Amino acid sequence: MQATQAQPNVAPVSFPRLDMLRSERNLVGVHIASALIALTVGIFMGPFQAFHRAPAFVNTFLGQIPVFSYYYQAVTVHGVMLALFFTTLFIVGFSYYVTQRSLQRQIKGIQFAWVAYALMLIGLAMLVFTLANDVTRSAVLYTFYPPLIAPAIFYLGLVLLVVGSWIAAFLVFWTYNAWRKEHPGERVPLAVFAILVNYLMWFISSLAVAIEVLFMLLPASLGWIQTTDPQLARVLFWFFGHPLVYFWLIPAYVSWYTMLPKQAGGRLFSDPLARVAFVMLLLFSIPVGVHHLYADPGVSQVAKFVHAFLTFTVAVPSFMTAFNIGASLEIASRNNGGRGFWGFIFKQRWSDPVVAAQLVGMLLFLAGGVTGLMNASAQINITLHNTSWVPGHFHTTLGGGVTMTFFGILYWLLPLLRGRALFSKKAALGQAFTWLVGMALFGFTMGEAGLNGAPRRADLANSPYMTPEASLWLNGAAIGGMILFISVVLLFVNIIGTLFFSTRPVEGDAPIQTKVEAASPAILERWRLWIAIVVVLCAIAWGPVIVEALDLTNGFNAIPYTPSGAPLR
Amino acid sequence: MHIDRYERYWLIAVAATLGAFFAALVATLVVFGVSLPSPVGRVNPQNLEASEFAEPGVRYIGGNRYQAHIVARMWQFDAGPEAGAPPKIRVPAGSEVNFFVTSKDIIHGFYIQNHTINLEVIPGQVSQATVKFNRPGVYQIVCNHYCGTGHAVMYGEIIVE
Repeated sequence: MQATQAQPNVAPVSFPRLDMLRSERNLVGVHIASALIALTVGIFMGPFQAFHRAPAFVNTFLGQIPVFSYYYQAVTVHGVMLALFFTTLFIVGFSYYVTQRSLQRQIKGIQFAWVAYALMLIGLAMLVFTLANDVTRSAVLYTFYPPLIAPAIFYLGLVLLVVGSWIAAFLVFWTYNAWRKEHPGERVPLAVFAILVNYLMWFISSLAVAIEVLFMLLPASLGWIQTTDPQLARVLFWFFGHPLVYFWLIPAYVSWYTMLPKQAGGRLFSDPLARVAFVMLLLFSIPVGVHHLYADPGVSQVAKFVHAFLTFTVAVPSFMTAFNIGASLEIASRNNGGRGFWGFIFKQRWSDPVVAAQLVGMLLFLAGGVTGLMNASAQINITLHNTSWVPGHFHTTLGGGVTMTFFGILYWLLPLLRGRALFSKKAALGQAFTWLVGMALFGFTMGEAGLNGAPRRADLANSPYMTPEASLWLNGAAIGGMILFISVVLLFVNIIGTLFFSTRPVEGDAPIQTKVEAASPAILERWRLWIAIVVVLCAIAWGPVIVEALDLTNGFNAIPYTPSGAPLR
Repeated sequence: MHIDRYERYWLIAVAATLGAFFAALVATLVVFGVSLPSPVGRVNPQNLEASEFAEPGVRYIGGNRYQAHIVARMWQFDAGPEAGAPPKIRVPAGSEVNFFVTSKDIIHGFYIQNHTINLEVIPGQVSQATVKFNRPGVYQIVCNHYCGTGHAVMYGEIIVE
């Protein structure tokens, strides 16, 4: 009895350094490959939209290039494929890799991981099908606010994506639990700590959007209910919508905190404070979503200012990250020979695409952080809300910090998956720096266009309300789009080159940390406590907002419409 | 838990800065009275005829004050027959206009370029904001919330004379 009890269920696996176990390569590989399919479908829509909004481009080329129609379909494809599918599939795959490697064990219930993957893949296929097949009706954008109602398959595909990600989350929790039982008193590696935070936050917040989709949108699409409540739908969506951006960001932070310091030639400045930052993200990323609803008529001003305050609070962990990563990069730079007060800033491994891509992401993310604080400032937001300032902002966060970090990860993960070196370092560096220039230009010009009265998400090149200033800036955004298009081509040179044409053996390893000193307080791993605080904070911050929006006698009276202007039925 | 001295300074500076930002927002609200849209009531979008939006339009209510009831629908703002389509709302300089906006079908936006009004217009809800027009000129009303195929041509004008 004694002997069998002492035996762990699954023996720790010793993972090869520059190779992968077969199960690992298959599981991580299919997620990354599927993420890249979603990326391919979505990313080419980006420059196309920028061209379509630029008066100079439209008036020169319209009618000559056949794809210059279907603008709103392009916006929907771009948002759904990049913000929902590329991110989620990439994050799930990356999280499996990091969890298995850090804990030195296989993911628990790996057969369920394949079920989860199948669900997400079917979801992806359903969305691609409906977006291609039902051009007008499915153009409800990736925020899918009712009373615009898409075909049911649109919502079913998203349900499958979310359910798949939930299963992936629970497999990571299960694996962590098994590890925890065998390692009492130890601290879990920081990367896994952050992934646990990310999945907890994701699961709690996506319950709200699941309620919105399952009880309002899907039944309305199928004709089971005749009306929806659009204000309540927006409340439920943004309960989920802001944690969603942290769901994208935290895996990038995992790379910055646990991989970049070594890749850059140094070490992490402070492990315990990184954990504090992640716990703060868990606590404060959900009770802030009303800052997306500042202009909404059905949310009280008190709630708006409570959420504004909490939004400034959730900025703190990002400022902590700025210090911690900045200090880690300084250590790296001093090791690399950086001298003087400012010298360390430039003495980085700019010639290593894995490092350069992440540094580019950080530079863009700085702009995103500053503009984010402006957006959070309630009254200032009123002058920016729904203008092209907003996509200008989030293309420097999601399209900058997150995406470039994911590409940086791709530049070492893809070679490991394929077992061959990265095809071209030069192309990768070119990709990173053209992305920096293109996205900086795009973000800046979109912001300026917004300040000059250009709305977001509008096919507005020849709109009656276009001002000369807005036209000028939108033409600038199209130039940004062109530079980004070049960057995307360079990205695909490496994806295709590494997969099919690279002959050299793989060189770089992923710097995965498997052991930590117990320097951080044990309380940081008391998940039940943090979940309880999240629930209390959400009840305080969201309870009154939901109660105010939910009116069963006078609410629920908006009938569904399609984007072509007709009632659905 | 060890916290580096410089990191402590940094955190104090961050907290102070963010605190000052939030204090500025509260001061803007309390001292200068710049408020955000707040709930003023619900309507039934399927039966606007029975509500204050039965006859959209701009009414003079004394002093320099006007009241405007506007119904947004795909893809027009209806500000009454006098304003026409797309609407041209005429008010003298120095007017204070109290806008009430709602939607007959789906979500729209009510945003005036180069001004301080930006409302989500949601079916079932009444959006309200009071704006003062001091300088003469043409102010364009833009629907800035995606509302389907004709979204980019949904607009109006406020002509301040």
